[in-house]
Amino acid sequence: MNKMYSNKWYIIIFLLPALILFCGVLIAPIGASGYYSFFDWNGFTEKTFIGLSNYKELFTSDSIGFMKALGNSLLLAALSVFLQLPLALGLALVLGKKIKGERAFLSVFFMPVLISTVVIGQLWLKIYNPDYGVLNVALRAVGLGNLAHIWLGDKATALGAVFVPILWQYVGYHMLLLYAGVKSVPPELREAAMLDGATDGQVNRYIVLPYIKPILKISVIFAVTGSLKSFDLIYVLTNGGPLHATEVPSTLMISMLFLRNRYGMGSTIAVLLIILCFAFALLINFVFKEEE
Amino acid sequence: MKKILALILALCMVPFMAACGGGGGEDQGAADGEEVTLKLWCIATESDANRPAYEQAIADYEAAHPGVKIEMEAFENESYKTKIKAAMTGGSSDDLPDIFFTWGGAFLGDFVDAGKVYCLDDIYANNYTEDQIPAVMLNNSSYDGKHYGVPTTFNIVAMYANMDLLAQAGWDKVPETYEELTQCCDDLLAAGIIPFGCAGSETWCVTEYLEPIILKSIGYEDLNKIFAGEATWNDPDIAKSVDVLQEMIDKGYFDPSGVALGNDEVKANFLAGKTAFYQNGSWNTGEVAAADFKSAVAMFPVMNEERSTANCAIGGPSDHLAVCSESPNADLAAEVAVELGKEICHYNYLNAVGLPAWTPDYDTSSLEPLMVDIGNIVNQCEGMVLFGDTAMSADPAQIYLDYVAKVYGKEIDGQGFIDGLTKDLQ
Repeated sequence: MNKMYSNKWYIIIFLLPALILFCGVLIAPIGASGYYSFFDWNGFTEKTFIGLSNYKELFTSDSIGFMKALGNSLLLAALSVFLQLPLALGLALVLGKKIKGERAFLSVFFMPVLISTVVIGQLWLKIYNPDYGVLNVALRAVGLGNLAHIWLGDKATALGAVFVPILWQYVGYHMLLLYAGVKSVPPELREAAMLDGATDGQVNRYIVLPYIKPILKISVIFAVTGSLKSFDLIYVLTNGGPLHATEVPSTLMISMLFLRNRYGMGSTIAVLLIILCFAFALLINFVFKEEE
Repeated sequence: MKKILALILALCMVPFMAACGGGGGEDQGAADGEEVTLKLWCIATESDANRPAYEQAIADYEAAHPGVKIEMEAFENESYKTKIKAAMTGGSSDDLPDIFFTWGGAFLGDFVDAGKVYCLDDIYANNYTEDQIPAVMLNNSSYDGKHYGVPTTFNIVAMYANMDLLAQAGWDKVPETYEELTQCCDDLLAAGIIPFGCAGSETWCVTEYLEPIILKSIGYEDLNKIFAGEATWNDPDIAKSVDVLQEMIDKGYFDPSGVALGNDEVKANFLAGKTAFYQNGSWNTGEVAAADFKSAVAMFPVMNEERSTANCAIGGPSDHLAVCSESPNADLAAEVAVELGKEICHYNYLNAVGLPAWTPDYDTSSLEPLMVDIGNIVNQCEGMVLFGDTAMSADPAQIYLDYVAKVYGKEIDGQGFIDGLTKDLQ
């Protein structure tokens, strides 16, 4: 067995299929996107090399509106980190205390993650419907009819209305990650602290949180990169509208690729998305390392 | 033990190796006497008014040609645009259908330019006469004098009216002038009835309101030139048209909920008697006629008699079938597509889903009266203008739609609309 592990050829041969898949499915498309981003190309006919013009246009053109889309994504990322994750952490800490019905609560909170995003999108479309949606109906029922609104049709409220289901859907996902971390804290550490007179809050602050820091880091990375890549729920709920109020880089990319036939520009957005995701992952790693 | 472990690992590799292997090997062509299956992509989903016509036409064709099977796959309108473009860009014939639905004008033109579409000239020349398919009906799918598409219907933008609701507001006829229309809308509002519904979340629905107003302000010749990129958007009468639409919105003529709704919901509101008018494609005629109220159809009134007349419309033969040039059975698919398109057109007309692009050679005595009215409107037309987002190629069309959305969202006024389009498109 050890001989097998020490033979480079065994290692190469058995890694090769996965490596080919990894390169073919992940690395090659990134390379191709980078290549296409230097061209003016409609996807069908001849490509014209234009250097960095797509990148320049992306950051300067008002009609494309990339900066606004990026701003929306960063806002979602901030909300994910400062609203969604604390909520998920709170739930994980409470459920980690072996409360009654722990498993049932776990299943219920995790359920939105299992449901198809399109189904969730349709569900929230009905909730927000200006005429018969449960939100407006409930507001009218409690005498707050003046707050009833065309939630997804108004530029002022559409972004917030789209973010709510996104944040709601993935609370359960982060909760499960953090719950696994909380559960892995050795009971003797907790017991020792309790014997020393530590309160629940102190146990969580000085024992549980430092213990699950690596998982917190992963959760933050997932939350930030997931926000930068967010697409499906926004596509179903507003498709970037009204008037680009809920546009994020991914919806903009789809619009460039398939509605405007600008494959070069779509590829440019894809490349920038990849760079941003990598940059944020590195930054988060750095921040957590500094703290350590 | 080591051998067993190595064997297990080697077996684990098999699926990976298989996945890496080429997918070819399937016999694409069909030997003589074997059944040939042709893949057809379209937007005739279960809820689409065209669906029965597609199903009937396919059933008829398969019954008459036992060796041919047509596999229809239908996609939702907006996602289909993504699907077909992605498939065309992909390049592999395995990813492509044999026959596909397409809009005429620039949408099909992009595929033709890329050499992805089979030329149908021989089929038309050998099997069909101009009496069956008038040359004008092939204009929107012809490029450099060659025909690439089969029109499946002919539609215009029509203004449907719920006459029961109009009667409640004291009107027994559809308004014929703009002054009458505004008076009618005021009367409807006074009676607690919302005049119009428009789906703000689908910008093409807003163009169904804006384009007829522009058409009736500047005339079909000038609007055709603008859509073709031969004239500038910088026309004060276009700015006025935009202001007219925004004035109608300001006066409350449009259901405010519409900004967040899709076309299906807005249409459902009209069919349920919530709004008095619904301006959209004439493919809705069958559904309107089947609604539980007395209906009528008209055109948006003339706005500027110096430049336009009542006898012009937005529309034309826009829906087509086309054949992928890379189809392994392209010759057969071309014959099937033309025959299928003709029959879809036939059933669509009888089902009141659209006017006939092909000359009817069947009994039309049981035709829906509302469809007959639309036919009469078209017969009086001197000129037509194809839907703007179809007439223009993808990039300018999307920029144009963005500006239309800004108009409906009151982000820009008429002057902003013409200034913006002049700057971004010319």
